[in-house]
Amino acid sequence: MGDQHITLEDVHLRFRMYSTRNRSLKEVVVNALARRKYGKPFTEINALAGVSLHVAHGERLGIVGDNGAGKSTMLKVISRIYPPTSGTVRYQGFLVPLLEVGIGFNFELSGLENIFLTGAIMGFSRKEMEKRVDSILSFSEMRDFANTPIKYYSSGMAQRLAFSIATEIDPEILLLDEVFSVGDIHWMEKAKSRMQTLIDRSGILVLVSHDMKLIEQYCTRAVWLQGGRIVADGKPAEIIERYRAST
Amino acid sequence: MTGQAAEVWRFREVVKNFVAQDLKVKYRRSALGFLWSLMNPLLQMIVLSTVFSLIFHGIPNFTLYILSGIVCWNFFAASVDGCAVSILGAESMLKRQYFPKLIFPLSTVIQNLVTFVLSLSVLLLIVGPFSGFRVTTALAVLPLSFACMVCFTLGVGAIAAVATVHFRDMQHLITVFLGAMFYLTPIIYPLDDKTIPPSGEPTVTASGAVELTGRAEVAKGPIPPQYRKYFKINPLFSLLSMFQRPIYDGMLPTRLETAAAVGISLASLSAGLLVFRRFEGGLIFRL
Repeated sequence: MGDQHITLEDVHLRFRMYSTRNRSLKEVVVNALARRKYGKPFTEINALAGVSLHVAHGERLGIVGDNGAGKSTMLKVISRIYPPTSGTVRYQGFLVPLLEVGIGFNFELSGLENIFLTGAIMGFSRKEMEKRVDSILSFSEMRDFANTPIKYYSSGMAQRLAFSIATEIDPEILLLDEVFSVGDIHWMEKAKSRMQTLIDRSGILVLVSHDMKLIEQYCTRAVWLQGGRIVADGKPAEIIERYRAST
Repeated sequence: MTGQAAEVWRFREVVKNFVAQDLKVKYRRSALGFLWSLMNPLLQMIVLSTVFSLIFHGIPNFTLYILSGIVCWNFFAASVDGCAVSILGAESMLKRQYFPKLIFPLSTVIQNLVTFVLSLSVLLLIVGPFSGFRVTTALAVLPLSFACMVCFTLGVGAIAAVATVHFRDMQHLITVFLGAMFYLTPIIYPLDDKTIPPSGEPTVTASGAVELTGRAEVAKGPIPPQYRKYFKINPLFSLLSMFQRPIYDGMLPTRLETAAAVGISLASLSAGLLVFRRFEGGLIFRL
């Protein structure tokens, strides 16, 4: 499919950080009754402040920037986890976000059940996933733990499983957060070549990382985010140099 | 709303998965699996019919009466309870992947619907023969009854799910609300008087008609007649009538009851979907 793309138009995302995380009805009622004047119960954060971006088919985009610049938020906006406050987000293609541990794992369920669940989330029926289960279990080396609930997995194990599922279902658009890419040395060697194939086969890659080597190695284009805005967009080497120079 | 439906339809595999997983956990992981989910309403029924037949004595086939209402009530209460925490409980998934949030209350309702249908059928088979259950054509209304019950419950459940994300203490309120509703809905007591058919030997009168000796008695419902109309405002009254009438009375629900049940369930479903459309986007920021 040649028309795969990601398009962001003037995307703003304002978060409200509530002073008390879990608001209760009691609190609201009591405050209203007592006519208590209390300061704003939340502070607003502009996580994304007007991001426009077009990623075309074949591009491998790296996102660099300081912590809190909005990198991970941007991935979450692209994958529709966060609806933007204003602006539009569109994409065309089969998108798989590999963000934190697990793709959408239910930690109460076993590894095997999570394979089917993840497949279902990606739109695959049970039958279609059954064909893939075997190679997922053998690549992740999780066969012995297939029936163990994920909550007993170490985070490395859960990631291995998630990675193996993702690489088995062939996304057209791959969103990759660096927090996703850990594991023991033995595993990393094994995962590397598979990751390379995964990236090669995907139509679009968006990679968030603090590891500049990774960006240079995989990406054909880079953007630099600061305070929720894109401050530079261009060739990875050039952007990385400018980013380095600023700090 | 068609947009919402299409979005949910795209995630049908996920809904299937949620429902299958839940039922598996419930029914397979323990040897008694399905039996346990029957034991609960069965024991509840035994206790309630024993206790309350002493209070409201004289109501014929009291066990069947309770059965016809309590299984529906259990479906409603368990669904609303489950829906209330369905989105909160999926937090870790929601932060890693996009889902139309409606699939969480929807899956909860479907899971409970399976239990509802199974336990109602099995309990009728077990208890029915001993409690005067008759198979009549009125039972044909049951698919409509189930449809109304599901729509109504999904609407309430969807609102409960959104409300609980906004206000964490909503769960306690819901528990209290459900407790009150249980007693305000005619489940363990009948709202109308029930006629007890006369017992005794049939005799042939001089004119040739067959008559039963003894007189038909009327068992009075516990609610004084002048207050009964207020109990009928309760949406669950009409919805439960859709089950109690065909199962217990062996007759179709009245036209008013049917119209009310259909109207209320559609209203509830629309309200639920509207609330969802309005608040769905903001939910992720409040988890």
